[in-house]
Amino acid sequence: MSDIRKWFMKSHDKGNNAAPSKPSNQPKPSSDKPQPEKNVAGGQESSGRRVTSKYFNTNKQKVKEEKETQELPAKRKNVKDSEDTPEPKRVHEDVGDDSVLPTNKKKLAEATPTKKLKSGSGRGIPKKSVVLEESDEDDDKGAVSAVKSAGRGGGGRGAPGRGRGGGRGGFMNFGERKDPPHKGEKEVPEGAPNCLAGLTFVISGTLDSLEREEAEDLIKRHGGRVTGSVSKKTNYLLCDEDIGGRKSEKAKELGTSFLTEDGLFDMIRASKPAKSPSQAEKKPVNKAVAVAPKVSPKPLVKVPLSSRSPSKQAKPVAATTIESSVMWTEKYRPKDPKDIIGNQSLIVQLRNWLKAWNEQFSDTGNKKKGKKQNDSVLKKAVLLSGTPGIGKTTSAKLVCEQLGFQAIEVNASDSRGKADSKIEKGISGSKTNSVKELVTNESIGANMERSKISKSVLIMDEVDGMSAGDRGGVADLIASIKISKIPIICICNDRYSQKLKSLVNYCLLLSFRKPTKQQMAKRLMDVAKAEGLQVNEIALEELAERVNGDVRMAVNQLQYMSLSMSVINYDDIRQRFLTNAKDEDISPFTAVDKLFGFNAGKLRMDERINLSMSDPDLVPLLIQENYINYKPSLAGKDDNGIKRMNLIARAAESIADGDIVNVQIRRYRQWQLSQASCTATCIIPASLLHGQREILEQGERNFNRFGGWLGKNSTMGKNFRLLDDLHVHILASRESSSGRDTIRMEYLTLILKRLTEPLRTLPKAEAVQQVVEFMNTYSISQEDFDTIVELSKFKGHPNPLDGIQPAIKSALTKAYKEQSKSRVVRVADQITLPGVKKAPKKRIAAILEPAEEGGEKGEGDTSDQSEEENTSDTEELEGIAKGEKLQSDLQSWNSKATEVQLELKGTGNSSAKKASGGRGKAASTSGKKAAQAPKRKR
Amino acid sequence: MLWVDKYRPKTLDHVMVHTDIGHNLKKLVTEQDCPHLLFYGPSGSGKKTLIMAVLRQMFGTGAEKVKVENRTWKVNAGSRSIDMELTTLSSANHIEITPSDAGFQDRYVVQEVIKEMAKNRPIDTKGKKGFKVLVLNDVDKLSREAQHSLRRTMEKYSAYCRLILCCNSSSRVTEAIRSRCLNVRINAPSEEQILEVLELIGKKEELQLPPGFGARIAEKSNRNLRRAILAFESCRVQQYPFTNKQTIPPMDWEDHISEIASDIMKEQSPKRLFQVRGKLYDLLINCIPPEIILKRLLYELLRKLDAELKHEVCHWAAYYEHRMRLGQKAIFHIEAFVAKFMSIYKSFLIATFG
Repeated sequence: MSDIRKWFMKSHDKGNNAAPSKPSNQPKPSSDKPQPEKNVAGGQESSGRRVTSKYFNTNKQKVKEEKETQELPAKRKNVKDSEDTPEPKRVHEDVGDDSVLPTNKKKLAEATPTKKLKSGSGRGIPKKSVVLEESDEDDDKGAVSAVKSAGRGGGGRGAPGRGRGGGRGGFMNFGERKDPPHKGEKEVPEGAPNCLAGLTFVISGTLDSLEREEAEDLIKRHGGRVTGSVSKKTNYLLCDEDIGGRKSEKAKELGTSFLTEDGLFDMIRASKPAKSPSQAEKKPVNKAVAVAPKVSPKPLVKVPLSSRSPSKQAKPVAATTIESSVMWTEKYRPKDPKDIIGNQSLIVQLRNWLKAWNEQFSDTGNKKKGKKQNDSVLKKAVLLSGTPGIGKTTSAKLVCEQLGFQAIEVNASDSRGKADSKIEKGISGSKTNSVKELVTNESIGANMERSKISKSVLIMDEVDGMSAGDRGGVADLIASIKISKIPIICICNDRYSQKLKSLVNYCLLLSFRKPTKQQMAKRLMDVAKAEGLQVNEIALEELAERVNGDVRMAVNQLQYMSLSMSVINYDDIRQRFLTNAKDEDISPFTAVDKLFGFNAGKLRMDERINLSMSDPDLVPLLIQENYINYKPSLAGKDDNGIKRMNLIARAAESIADGDIVNVQIRRYRQWQLSQASCTATCIIPASLLHGQREILEQGERNFNRFGGWLGKNSTMGKNFRLLDDLHVHILASRESSSGRDTIRMEYLTLILKRLTEPLRTLPKAEAVQQVVEFMNTYSISQEDFDTIVELSKFKGHPNPLDGIQPAIKSALTKAYKEQSKSRVVRVADQITLPGVKKAPKKRIAAILEPAEEGGEKGEGDTSDQSEEENTSDTEELEGIAKGEKLQSDLQSWNSKATEVQLELKGTGNSSAKKASGGRGKAASTSGKKAAQAPKRKR
Repeated sequence: MLWVDKYRPKTLDHVMVHTDIGHNLKKLVTEQDCPHLLFYGPSGSGKKTLIMAVLRQMFGTGAEKVKVENRTWKVNAGSRSIDMELTTLSSANHIEITPSDAGFQDRYVVQEVIKEMAKNRPIDTKGKKGFKVLVLNDVDKLSREAQHSLRRTMEKYSAYCRLILCCNSSSRVTEAIRSRCLNVRINAPSEEQILEVLELIGKKEELQLPPGFGARIAEKSNRNLRRAILAFESCRVQQYPFTNKQTIPPMDWEDHISEIASDIMKEQSPKRLFQVRGKLYDLLINCIPPEIILKRLLYELLRKLDAELKHEVCHWAAYYEHRMRLGQKAIFHIEAFVAKFMSIYKSFLIATFG
């Protein structure tokens, strides 16, 4: 709850019955205006919000609502007969609120406004502004709901931040619900603790001033029930705008009445005994009898309440604690299978299985055939699975007991490793041996009991907890199951655990489900009654929800709370679980949303750390990706955006800081710095820039983007690998020995030109020839060609391949492939990209063929000497006279990498070449051509 | 074949630009036992060419019979063993590696290679025990740890191997290493020298060079000989009979960076920053080293910047470059620089023009 509201509340509390200080900072004179507005609202077209739905807030509706408020007490009268005293008053007040007001209004100037009146007028104003603000949006919305197919244009929306439409549909669950438009502006009323008892609410859409959680809280605090979807039992649909969703449609169908937030406030406020007489009368009525009839529970200040109660109730508490030294979980453990909460069908199944077991399997010694048949139908063991505390062990034990089996429980506290081979050690050996013994030996069980049939059951508890200590435990268990002569019940938490994969096949699977909160609340109520605790059902339901279906934990919590108080109400439980509630999983997106959200400034430091630590790898990346998009509320009024730019610069620096810290963490394993890193990467940028998000690009959705760094980094890695390939190839060509970066930065532009320019300008045949020749010189493969093109692409610039006819491209490919048969192997294509298994190319295969696997560096075996005669270029003749000697030497010292050792070109030609000067293009071409047809000699 | 490679001098006698250094090196190699060498100087000044020529001088033509290998090393680093792959370029007498490619585990590579070389010393025909040469590229990119470990191994194994180190800036090589080497500073060739080379190439390729054209290329090349030759050839590919007004095609990435710079100068807003980020990613994806991006970006910005701000902007660029080296995700730091620049420049604009 926001601080502002707390503040209001305090002020409100102070002047409880007297006129409160202005609740919403509205200037007094303006309070006149909203009243007429409010009354006329129904008829006027301009207040779009009210007109959009005829179910909604029109005059008619107002009357209806009024009626309901009258009905409501009547209803409650059935429940509690002594409740009628406040009723007429409430009606009176309601009437005053709606229709008497105009008369009051005249007096308003001189008379001190009553609290009711004041708050009413205070409420009116924000309402009005909402109307004005949202009227166009709601029209828009109405149009859309009318024409479902019409896409919602992003352009029409004035304020992107309020774009609730964007949040509808699939993304509703994903992001945060939008903030209420008047968050924290209204005063939250307090009423009698149980004024909403017996009523069921459904909340839909965004409320006017309350967060949904707050609204839920408010209702529950006053004894109401909040459900997720509309049903017949629903009394009210609480919503402030008609968004035409499923809930409101259903509500219309069922005739559920609609209730605005203000209506809810009125209801609650009405129950509040404003004047002393009614309060006195009300006192005995309250259900939470013992405590606090005087003050209705203050939502936030609970300390006095809880601290007061034990002093008053000291005696009973002491009494209970003395008598119950046993843990409640044991004390109230179900005594009969029927007492178990939920999963009754599974228990029946378990019992049937156990009952049938003996008939199925005990005779198997006699009839082999029978066994086989049954095996397929019925498994020899059963596997119960489910979350902790829902009664798996209990039900297993109870069922055994009921059927007269003697249960032998083996759990994690016993060593459950593989049985010793020396089985003769028998029971004196390890526990497993005794299990083996037990399982194989009918007579142990049989002798104990008088009856003929063996009456033992082995319960293997916590089988998924078999860990390193229980080596071979599961395998042994399976073996035991196979030969077992007694039924085995296995119990685990996670059925899909890797460890249990093999076990699952041998077992009948029974998955226990969590009991519903109603079921649990019922049971907990029984416990509470038995212990003399006063708890209302709503509170217990809340408890059941908070423990996430864990009955054992719920009972334990209840016992713990009983030590300090004898009356437990909703707020106590809420407070108790305030910390636990945080354990839920937060997605990185939610975390970032929260960190950057409007209220992020109010988050506590530990909350921020928790948020950013929810995924310490991903959250910083998301922050980095999105921090530019936020309009910082820190900047305040910022005409030219200079403050924002400053903040962005600071945030960027902090993010960079975080990167440096991260290096320390990762590279030097300084994990103690992780908090510093999280502060630098997440918290500082978020606290500098939190505010409203805006879009920077046309057509972008106003949601946080996924961190781009990951993708870009992997692309970069890939490109570097490709560049490495190219580099190696160029090195292997021995024409150049430049570094990788040099190749990229200086050579690449020219190489690209040499590769593409001829294709564009020259006639086809000549161009292809020239390019292929160039590629051969530098042993650039076709993949490298693609790499070069890929690396030269920039967004917003034309593709380097533009303007080249596809026909020429394919001709190039063809020409290159054609020559590959005769191509001298120059490229040591030893780079094996992980995961990419290319079929070895022909030219490599040719070399690989004669390779000896032995790993001996036999030059003689594999040396392929190919001499090429270069006759055309007379000037080079001398230098190349030796011919190009190709020696390829295959080594297999690294099995995965083939390595080709090359010796090319006599070196004498270098000087000759240098001296040779202008070598005609055509001449060299023909020379090359000759060179590319090497003869092979052995 | 590209002209850069085609007209690369192969022996110390043939070097055109650093003739005096060539001469000295030749003396050094032939007359006495060669010390460790550290070549440093700006890129495109001829370090690599000189190194190859030195090798050739040492070992004769054998040094040019090079094979390319992708070697893998298994290194035991404390508790775990690391597999490393690195491309080596080696002949019988020398190995050339770029250890910085191995990332932050480069020191293992350096140690392993040197030890391995020490293990099998070559014996020449006269039965004299010779030495091998290890050429390390980009020594300035070696991590500090690697440089420290290099220091010890340099002394320990100096009988078996000589190191030839090559880097752009000696300032990033630790003093310890510098003092163990003979430092050879290779200056960038002057524009006249570049012009000379270009004209020679033009003559050999039988091209008609319009007067002043070569000078323009030389000027544009920023005293980088390699770039000058490459640009020269680009011009040739683009349009042969050279005209005097022919544009000299810029490098694709430089083009892109100057675009970014003008983007930044035009508008300073979150939206623009976002667009700039996209462009920076483009550059990084295309394998342009981030340091180069930052440097070039600063250069482009400075050209358009008011003199008043130059000092401050330079300071921040240096600041972020330093941090980029400490960090890992380069884009964060470049973006931080851009954001900082935008913030500074914007407030400057508002202060001056209102």
